Amino acid sequence: MNKKIKSSLAIVTAVAVAFGIASVPTASAATKTYTIAYQGPLSGGEASTGIDEQNAVKYAIKLFEAANKNIKVKIVSVDDEGDAGKAGTVAPGVAANKNILGLVGPAYSGATIASLPYYKAAGMALISPSATRVSLTDPTSADFGGPVFHRVVGKDDLQGPALAKYATKGVSNAKVFVFDDQSAYAVPLRGYVEAGLKKVTGATLVGGDSVPKDATDYAPTIAKINQSGATVVIYTGYYSAAAIFIKQLRDTGSKAIFAGGDGVFNQEFPVLAGAAAEGSRVTGVGGLAGVSAKLEADFKKKMGVSSGVYSVEAFDAANLLLSGIKAGKTTRAAMLKYVNAYKGKSITGNTIKFDKNGDISYGLFAGFTSKGGVLVNTGIVK
Amino acid sequence: MKMRNYWNLRDWGAGIWERANRPKRVAIAITTIFLVALLPFAGASFLATPIAAYDAVLVYPVGVFILMALGLNIVVGKSGMLDLGYVAFFAIGAYTMALMGTHTGLNTWEIMPFGIAFAMLAGVLLGLPTLRLRGDYLAIVTLGFGEIVRLVVLNSTWSKGPNGIANIPMPPDIGPLKFKLDDQKVFFWVVVIMILLTIWMIRRLSVRRPGRAWEAIRQDEDAAELMGIPTLKYKIWSFTLGAAVGGAAGVLFASKNLFIAPEMFTLNVSILILACVVFGGIGNIWGVVLGAAILGYLPERIRFISDARLLVFGLVLVTVMNFRPDGLLPRKKREKAIVKKEVNA
Amino acid sequence: MFAVLIDQFWSLTIAGVALGFIYVLISLGYTMVYGVLRMINFANSEIFMWGTFGTIITSRDIFHYTQTSEPARGFKLALVLLSSLLMSMLVAGLTAVFVEFVAYRRLRAKGTNRLATLISAIGISIVLSEVMRLLTASRPVGAPRVLEKIILTEIWGANIRLDTIITIIAAAIIFFILERFVKLSRMGKAIRAVSMNEDAAKLMGVNLNRVIATTFLVGGLATGAASFFYVTVFEYTKFNIGFTMGMAAFTAAVLGGIGNIRGAFYGGLTLGLLEVYASAVLGTQWKAVTVFIVLVLVLLFKPNGLFGEAVQTTRA
Repeated sequence: MNKKIKSSLAIVTAVAVAFGIASVPTASAATKTYTIAYQGPLSGGEASTGIDEQNAVKYAIKLFEAANKNIKVKIVSVDDEGDAGKAGTVAPGVAANKNILGLVGPAYSGATIASLPYYKAAGMALISPSATRVSLTDPTSADFGGPVFHRVVGKDDLQGPALAKYATKGVSNAKVFVFDDQSAYAVPLRGYVEAGLKKVTGATLVGGDSVPKDATDYAPTIAKINQSGATVVIYTGYYSAAAIFIKQLRDTGSKAIFAGGDGVFNQEFPVLAGAAAEGSRVTGVGGLAGVSAKLEADFKKKMGVSSGVYSVEAFDAANLLLSGIKAGKTTRAAMLKYVNAYKGKSITGNTIKFDKNGDISYGLFAGFTSKGGVLVNTGIVK
Repeated sequence: MKMRNYWNLRDWGAGIWERANRPKRVAIAITTIFLVALLPFAGASFLATPIAAYDAVLVYPVGVFILMALGLNIVVGKSGMLDLGYVAFFAIGAYTMALMGTHTGLNTWEIMPFGIAFAMLAGVLLGLPTLRLRGDYLAIVTLGFGEIVRLVVLNSTWSKGPNGIANIPMPPDIGPLKFKLDDQKVFFWVVVIMILLTIWMIRRLSVRRPGRAWEAIRQDEDAAELMGIPTLKYKIWSFTLGAAVGGAAGVLFASKNLFIAPEMFTLNVSILILACVVFGGIGNIWGVVLGAAILGYLPERIRFISDARLLVFGLVLVTVMNFRPDGLLPRKKREKAIVKKEVNA
Repeated sequence: MFAVLIDQFWSLTIAGVALGFIYVLISLGYTMVYGVLRMINFANSEIFMWGTFGTIITSRDIFHYTQTSEPARGFKLALVLLSSLLMSMLVAGLTAVFVEFVAYRRLRAKGTNRLATLISAIGISIVLSEVMRLLTASRPVGAPRVLEKIILTEIWGANIRLDTIITIIAAAIIFFILERFVKLSRMGKAIRAVSMNEDAAKLMGVNLNRVIATTFLVGGLATGAASFFYVTVFEYTKFNIGFTMGMAAFTAAVLGGIGNIRGAFYGGLTLGLLEVYASAVLGTQWKAVTVFIVLVLVLLFKPNGLFGEAVQTTRA
């Protein structure tokens, strides 16, 4: 409860500050303050994704400031509610704020597309932890985000086939049922999963469905799965819906293998779904807990909550910008050049290097299997 | 029945207007328009919005909200029909702009009539069967219509489904006025002109036959029917005109945002616009303008509270409605519906 | 296209009926308030959402069940379920009374237009949902499995599960009790009197404020019961679940004839079945479209809903 009181105090202070005279940051001669931004949904129905990502960014800043005593980093929280309409209003403001050297995000592909024209004009580096739409890095597409857009997450056309492969691994003559949550993230990914299935020998697509992401009753979908005789069920959507679904599926007695993409990848998934999640297969790069339990524990200690979806990606993206600041890239142009030429290690040990369209070089997806309430890494899907 | 003595801004404003003679009125109108047109230059004052760009905020949400609220006000405020699916017409306008803008060579101004026409057509198609319904039944049917439009574009391939449509062209320059990404003053002026046109249209209609018919329908539909007013016809007219304004707002929004997707056209938008109308003062044009301006602007102005933004927004709605139930600038007493009980003495 | 419907007909039907009963109870929240005030209680969806936390707090924080603990059995099971039910009803009932007090009472006393009340209710539902979002850090909240979902038997290829049966029977009983309350009790009669003619009821010495608060309370209790069944079946809640369920239940109330208690019953069941059948035949993405088209068609032929004709006599 104490935390709540504190946060409400913070709100009151914020109100006071904003309506009063803008407070001038009084930096001592030795410490310098730089600004980066995070853009994603921080309020409204999609808020959990954005808050998880922003926590990872804040965590990265905390670690960075502890290691570099003379540099302070300010974060501007750009709340686009995951809504491309709102993104079109905030993006010009962010672009106009010359203090912002670079931006982690935008979180959602739709909001990214709506924001891109402004950021392109401003020449500001974007590193998205979770915008996976293929067209964003396709130079022939209207949505192309180069040269400012980068992402540290594998795009859909890499993940789709990986997910198809991993889901059907060890299943002979797999009969596969694929369904999505109707979101802009899930529908394209489902297309790439279905395309990927064609390359898996023996696998056949036996059915599909498209269920609104806020649905909780999956009975009709389960009826379709049972009727189709599917042995593998692949879901493109997010972990909370996946947890509700898998419980309902298991309660009908179905033994079909369940698999999901990086939206399902969250250690909360096996926790929410309990025993029903056992044996579920998920592709992704994994939350911080997937990297090391020690890191996760430290995160929880510093941030007060556990790390969430795309926290590794957001952490990597923030670190990239922070290392730019440390290297003295304190203009947007210098930062953009730095990011484009960047070569370094991600927290998972992969090499981060962007190709000319803004994609990372690795883009490999690891397969995870749920065992005893934890998603366990079973190695890169080949 | 004693009038409560609260700040009566509406009567104060109306008083000035009524006392003024014609040249004075013209002077007042021109000065006001001029001052409004200067608004985008006030970005450095206390009006400035943290994070979001001030001039962009003036266009969307503020300007577009005002336009939509004025359109919805024709339906809800003038003729008293509760429409919870107004976003449908906005969506139809926006998708007309997006599809025609990316597939044909037409520019925003050439597409505008199509957007308006399609929205009006949808208004007639929806209105014909459903406007016989009353009150809350109409509300749920219109709500359903709004959802249907969104779900159809979400589940169809011609609309690119949930991916949405990108690269919608900006409007062509008007002489020396250029539409720019980083400076949206021209957009704002265009919205202001559209708002003025809408206000002009509503004011003309209000004092003529349709306006009187709507008024009669709003006060007592059965009595209006008995007096020989073809109520269905006028209801459809009101619905269609509201739709036209919504469609126009949609075209402009798509051309400003350059990208649209089905997720932008949820029920929340309909509710928000309705809130603008009621919050400002239902039935009173200036009240609606004020309400939409405040509700569009407020969430952007209080961005520094980040987490609790919507919470504050909700609290404002509850508080204002409880203390000014007729809105900030209510319509004149004699125009108020007589269906309600006596005001408690 | 119809293969799924034919093949899985009974499974779908049972699922639809169970879902329908949850809708029935939430619709009561809408219909009770509508019957008395002629107003949509827009905040009912958030009352439902708050109710779900009643069950979770009871099983998780009072009885210390966790995601991995064994389901309860015997007496303990009955105790936990019953106290969860009561807690959910209590939370939702109190939230409903709070909503009435904050969003409705003052406006009602002023006798102002209905739209102001609607916006006020929308405001309070934004507040309720945002407060819960801040309290739960925007995260989904899982409910521990207290009731084991045993498959009791199989009829025509459909599994009959314990939780489904409990939901259907218990919801029917709660519905019946509430209906009797409104029909027979002194307070219920006062509620119906206000619903028929507010001024006359006032003249007859009915305490209007108390009656209306009670109406919200009863509607809230029904909605809270729905929250309990929802959590028991789906074992999950989140700050934003109210919207979808509330919209569906409101549609159900209109379908049955809003303001009519029995209408809520038939409307809820019809909607539950319609949703699962439509999802099975056309695909879940067209579910909402189908529901609304059916609603429009029903309203075209029966403008007051399926059971709306007897408004004056059976209105809540």
